[in-house]
Amino acid sequence: MSPAQQGHGPWSGVRVLDLTGLSGAYGTRVWAALGADVICVEPPGGNPIRNMPPLAPGHEGPEASLWWAYYAASKRSVVLDPTDLNDIDALVQLIASADVVLDDAMPAAQEAYPWLADVGEGGLGVAGIVERYPHLTWVSITPFGMTGPRRHWRSSNLVAWASCGLASTVGFPHGPPLAPAGEIGVLMHGASLHAVIGSMMSVRARNLAAAAGEPALGQTIDLSLQEVGLWLSPETGVPLYLDDQVPRPRAGNRRPVTSPMGMYPASDGYVAIIAIQPAHWNAVAQWVHELTGNEGILDEIFIDIVVRREALEAVDAWVEELTARFTKQELFVEGQRRRIPITPVNTVGDLRHDPHLEAVGWWRPEKHPVLGTYTVPGSPFTTDGDWWAWQRAPMLGEHTDDVLSEMT
Amino acid sequence: MTASADRRPLSGIRVFEISIAVAAPCCGKAMAHHGAEVFKVEAHSYPDVARAFGSAWARDPELADVFCDTGPYVPEMSAGKRSVGLELKQPQALEAARRLLATCDVFLTNFAAPGIAELGLDYESVKQVCPDIIYAGMTGFGVDPDKPYYPFRAFGPNQAPLVGWDALTGFPHEEPAGIPSIAPPDYMGGLHTMLAIVTALHERDRTGEGRFIDISQLETTVSFLGPYLVGQDLGVPEPFRNGNRVSWAAPAGIYPCAGDDRWIAVEVLDDEAWQALAGLAEWSDVPAHDAVDQAALSTYPHATLADRIANHDAIDAELSAWTSRRSPQQAAAELQALGIAAYEVLNHTGVLADPQVHDRRPYSIAPSPRLGRDLFVRNPVRMSETPPYVTRAGPNMGGDTVDVLTEIGYAHDDVEQMVADGTAFVDARPEVVLERPFDRWYESVGIAEFYDAEGNVTGGAQ
Repeated sequence: MSPAQQGHGPWSGVRVLDLTGLSGAYGTRVWAALGADVICVEPPGGNPIRNMPPLAPGHEGPEASLWWAYYAASKRSVVLDPTDLNDIDALVQLIASADVVLDDAMPAAQEAYPWLADVGEGGLGVAGIVERYPHLTWVSITPFGMTGPRRHWRSSNLVAWASCGLASTVGFPHGPPLAPAGEIGVLMHGASLHAVIGSMMSVRARNLAAAAGEPALGQTIDLSLQEVGLWLSPETGVPLYLDDQVPRPRAGNRRPVTSPMGMYPASDGYVAIIAIQPAHWNAVAQWVHELTGNEGILDEIFIDIVVRREALEAVDAWVEELTARFTKQELFVEGQRRRIPITPVNTVGDLRHDPHLEAVGWWRPEKHPVLGTYTVPGSPFTTDGDWWAWQRAPMLGEHTDDVLSEMT
Repeated sequence: MTASADRRPLSGIRVFEISIAVAAPCCGKAMAHHGAEVFKVEAHSYPDVARAFGSAWARDPELADVFCDTGPYVPEMSAGKRSVGLELKQPQALEAARRLLATCDVFLTNFAAPGIAELGLDYESVKQVCPDIIYAGMTGFGVDPDKPYYPFRAFGPNQAPLVGWDALTGFPHEEPAGIPSIAPPDYMGGLHTMLAIVTALHERDRTGEGRFIDISQLETTVSFLGPYLVGQDLGVPEPFRNGNRVSWAAPAGIYPCAGDDRWIAVEVLDDEAWQALAGLAEWSDVPAHDAVDQAALSTYPHATLADRIANHDAIDAELSAWTSRRSPQQAAAELQALGIAAYEVLNHTGVLADPQVHDRRPYSIAPSPRLGRDLFVRNPVRMSETPPYVTRAGPNMGGDTVDVLTEIGYAHDDVEQMVADGTAFVDARPEVVLERPFDRWYESVGIAEFYDAEGNVTGGAQ
């Protein structure tokens, strides 16, 4: 049973059909753990996420993907064959029973779904579906939105970063632009969060209207990956650029604004340091001095960030003499004790063994009938309430019979 | 539009925000778009960096007192909010804040936990004046003083390195490039906070009770590494930065185009897209290249994903040769016509010229007390019946102090006295209305929707 089936969580009683892949998965994962009955409707071959590496070593097939194992947590899986009339009928019934549908099909498909037998060959677009089921919120997550000359263009996390202007500012000056955090898919996570927040807002608006005795308030939500990118990149965005007319070229992992600012080598990797405020610089200079005997670095002239920018290479070299002597974690702990904004450039392995995450009891064991037992990340935030209920990801079609029998 | 006709989901919800930079402000701004009344409570003695940045063109001694209203981060982070100037370290100002809090539904902050407690606005204190408050505190490392990183400083630009995103940004043979010039972790923290607040409001509708929410941004952003963290226990190798490639589609990358610093992003999402790419007539025109594995090329149309990943370098060399002979727009149009995901790597001027941006207008222009009107990004959640919008751009610093304090019961004279004492403040010289140097572009560029003070879309040229 899902958490929602157990009546647990603040969103229990709200049903969400997830017809998406990556652009919806993270947000619906959170929503499911908060009690919504999130049903993944999958084709017989399974959601494409089920094929995404990394796979659990020694496993193949629809349960092997760790993307699925993580992102489908607390959801239910229903397999419906889009070529089978009975299954299409079941899908229509499911839609009628849902509060929210999240859909990442291309606009051409969403403009004319052939599901409803009585609407003829033209099919019914999402606006028509909501008109028919006026309690419903239908979220269309598409590459460039449901309107505009490029609505039929395809996209991905990488292509979306390119289309919003942000990728052009990430990377080294001599090399190509880069997607932030690579295949982690940060922009897709952002899209899914917007989709879920928009859905929650819509459910709230609907409930408020119903409580006020107003007509049913269903709606469509048109979410464009390109616009999600624009929303989360003001630093590189049009308003800032128009205001200062300063281009923002790729500058690598240090910012030539002053020193130290950016990434510096540690004995086992890198740390990131930002020392703009005088107190931060003084603490860095004092530390370098204590370790290396460098007297020059204590000269008051260097408190001025402009002087440090003009002497960038020299100051960077002094700072590197310090950072190269310690591990990144040693620099983190001691630097923070000295009130310097310094952090390790962590890897996934570092984070899995991070002492703070361990101490707050973040990790949670999970048992899976195919994959065995492993440790998964805990909740993304906490409250003083009993909000979260995590369940392992569903196996392909695990809940088909349950869900279909609930409707008859 | 009158308040009673406003069906937006947060209409009637009042938010007390005390915040800095991006993470909490972007959340408050989004709530304002959905109809909430958001009070940004600010102080000159610890100003938000968005106030300190200002605008380069406003660096003029004559404008020193209004400089704080000129930065483009003011509308980007605080459009639609009301600004209340209270120096909270003064007891009288704290009392006013408590009276305002008593009328609010939500408390939103990203001040460090020790700092907010010092101001007397920790959860227990706030709950005393507003028992059903939804209190959302965004911390770096949580609120438990006994945990290892509790006293550590979380700094926006240091978040991406800390949570693993920087190490995964870059090419395998180079140092990590990181993302020091941008702040996606802050925005993701803001979105999680918003999700938590809407959830708490939904819960409160049923229970009548408030909620304490601890958004520790370490956990929030490390959550994005989920599949790879799970893999650590199962013997999956640690992921390593791999340029723009992904493990489930190939080729994927950013390729050079004709011109200076012109690039295109391409991702072949499935076998059909690959067959279309492999079948491009122009492939055969590409001059022989040392890096190209001719044997692999001969099997191109039949290459499986595994083949393509194994021969990614060779494919990249050939695809680069093809893209290099085209402008990014031309290459993108040709590839998209074949069903291949591709887009020019836009820079600012590219976004300004983008046909999709022109058609959908993802920016807003709304009235601004200091700048006449101002430009900022719209909320991307386009709801058909209750679309998010705001009727005002960034507030002047302290510009709503008098209105807000009198609305909650202060007499005009009392507010004036507080301003005279320096416990409260109002905006400097409200009669000074400046104009951004690019203001006249608005009509001609056509990237923004114009909103008037009633929330109507006017189409510009006011």
